[in-house]
Amino acid sequence: MRKLLMLIFLVFSVGYAQNKQVLYDFSGLPQTLLLNPGAEVSYKSHVGMPFLSQISFQSGFTGFSTYDIFADNGIDINVKIRAALAKYRKTEFVAVNQQLEILSGGFRLPNKNYLSFGYYEEFEALAKIPKELVDLYYEGNTIINKHYSANKLAFRAEMLGVLHVGLSKKLNDKWQIGARAKIYSGMFHIKSKQNSGALFTQLGTNNTYSQQLENMNLLMQTSGLFLDSGETVDGSYVKKNLLFGGNLGLGFDFGFTHHLDKQWAITGSIQDLGFVYNTKNVESYSIKGNYEIDGIQLAFDPNNPEDYWTDLEDDFNEQIVLDTIYDKYISFRPVKLNGALSYSFGQTYDDCRFLIDPGSFNNKIGFQWFSTVGIVHSYMAATVFFERKINKFLQTKLTYTADSYSFSNVGMGLSTQIGLFNAYFTADNLLNLNNIYAAKSASFQLGINFIFKEKN
Amino acid sequence: MKFLKITVLFLIGFCLQSCTKDVDFDQLDQASVQSIYVVTLVYLDLTAPNFLDNFNNEISLSTDVINVPITKDAEPYVEKVEITVITQNTFNRAFTFNFVFYDSFNTPIYTLQPTIMVPENSGETTTIIEIPKSDLSIIYNTVSIGAYINLLRSGDGSVLTKNEIGTLNLKSSSKRFLTYLIK
Repeated sequence: MRKLLMLIFLVFSVGYAQNKQVLYDFSGLPQTLLLNPGAEVSYKSHVGMPFLSQISFQSGFTGFSTYDIFADNGIDINVKIRAALAKYRKTEFVAVNQQLEILSGGFRLPNKNYLSFGYYEEFEALAKIPKELVDLYYEGNTIINKHYSANKLAFRAEMLGVLHVGLSKKLNDKWQIGARAKIYSGMFHIKSKQNSGALFTQLGTNNTYSQQLENMNLLMQTSGLFLDSGETVDGSYVKKNLLFGGNLGLGFDFGFTHHLDKQWAITGSIQDLGFVYNTKNVESYSIKGNYEIDGIQLAFDPNNPEDYWTDLEDDFNEQIVLDTIYDKYISFRPVKLNGALSYSFGQTYDDCRFLIDPGSFNNKIGFQWFSTVGIVHSYMAATVFFERKINKFLQTKLTYTADSYSFSNVGMGLSTQIGLFNAYFTADNLLNLNNIYAAKSASFQLGINFIFKEKN
Repeated sequence: MKFLKITVLFLIGFCLQSCTKDVDFDQLDQASVQSIYVVTLVYLDLTAPNFLDNFNNEISLSTDVINVPITKDAEPYVEKVEITVITQNTFNRAFTFNFVFYDSFNTPIYTLQPTIMVPENSGETTTIIEIPKSDLSIIYNTVSIGAYINLLRSGDGSVLTKNEIGTLNLKSSSKRFLTYLIK
């Protein structure tokens, strides 16, 4: 149990989901097409190594780091926990995103458009935790008149398989556009948003205290979590649900690349403009109502004995209504927006032909913007980057990102191409490499592809 | 090539650094959450007729019963329970309160101690009753609680009448002290 808790803590103590700022538009990798279907493609075709073409993991917690709690500095851990909680803002959030590309491929069509396709599995979880609920758990409810509010409580988690096919089309020398269609197959989904209500204790009139549940309005929608009797989660269940036996949905990505001139370029994309229609094993819960209690008033009337406890339960159930809802529902995917402005310089010298390649540059600097717009939470990150083609085998990218986790997130990517073989690795929060436990956010992506270049 | 050298040096620099500073995950053994939850309990506001029978004779012992199943859900975490009772009495008579816990066989298994003493014409009087952890396992077998008010004899032999002006007031709340060990 302790190891599990520690693992959860570590997972939640390093990073945020979905911003792949190092991978975005990096080195013409096939995986950049997943971030921008309108990215330029210079090769003839590609095949991703099955299960290894992209392994991506990102997670984070904005509250405090592992090191804040577990530093071996002679200070009692409970003092450190209290200190960390003292710095807890009104709301902090935890997030984790994991993707595993199972299949990936693409090729140039006779009309010069590039068709790419594949299938990946994605798990994502996000929770916004208000401080008041942390206080309720950690300290209790002894502060009179303090509202322990659930107003900002929100969470979402889902696991799905995504089959996708995209087309990148070069319109002219200045414009490249692309789109990708996705079919989602959700294994499970859980969401709770727009919650309200508070628990508080105040001085009473009839009794010492009066306790209230005020304006309770909580809703949690789930699909695939509460299984029918006889259903068990095993390999075949996971496979079936991730491969179109689950809750199905549809989504689209759109993107573009626009060259302002030979050196300046703008790129942008919108991802996961889509939804999942949750129809299987749907079970949602709603809690609504107001309740106030002073306590149980003892009447000491032997002629009219009362069943206090039953009356109390009945009154509570009448005032606070718990409904179980089996209605199918639609869940929207969190939409991601990417944008970049870049400037390329330092023309490439072709060692073979002893010429400067006029359309190729060794260096690129620029600015990137990423944001997610989700029902549960929205997030923004700004990145400046420098990309450098070191030689024809190796390309690298350095990024500096500011977001809600950190203003000192330095990332790096390496991509190597030897013959057909391509391997890449990107990671961020490198400044915390000297003490990874102090990082609140980090992410990495790695993968192997076989890239077939155009014949000159 | 200069850039390559700088990059390699940059990476070596990182790799030569220790990847972690000292952390000790065994500290989890000492980590605990200590929270206190306040719950409002019973209250009463009694007048003279509450202590008289149908023939207006004084009743020395009044009883009431709450059928309350006390669950074991929080048993491992509860360190103690502290009950605060505030009484006020404007009668010229003294009272005592007792709360007795009964199991499913209607057998008394626990009595809150100390007995709550309510002197005659007493203002707000606070009694704190603590149920220690060692007694909690007994409490968890409770299915009902009997509340007993004992009307003590007056010194001058006088008795309560229907028209006697006075109130006996009791307010109560509890604090449950919980400790969760994080391991």
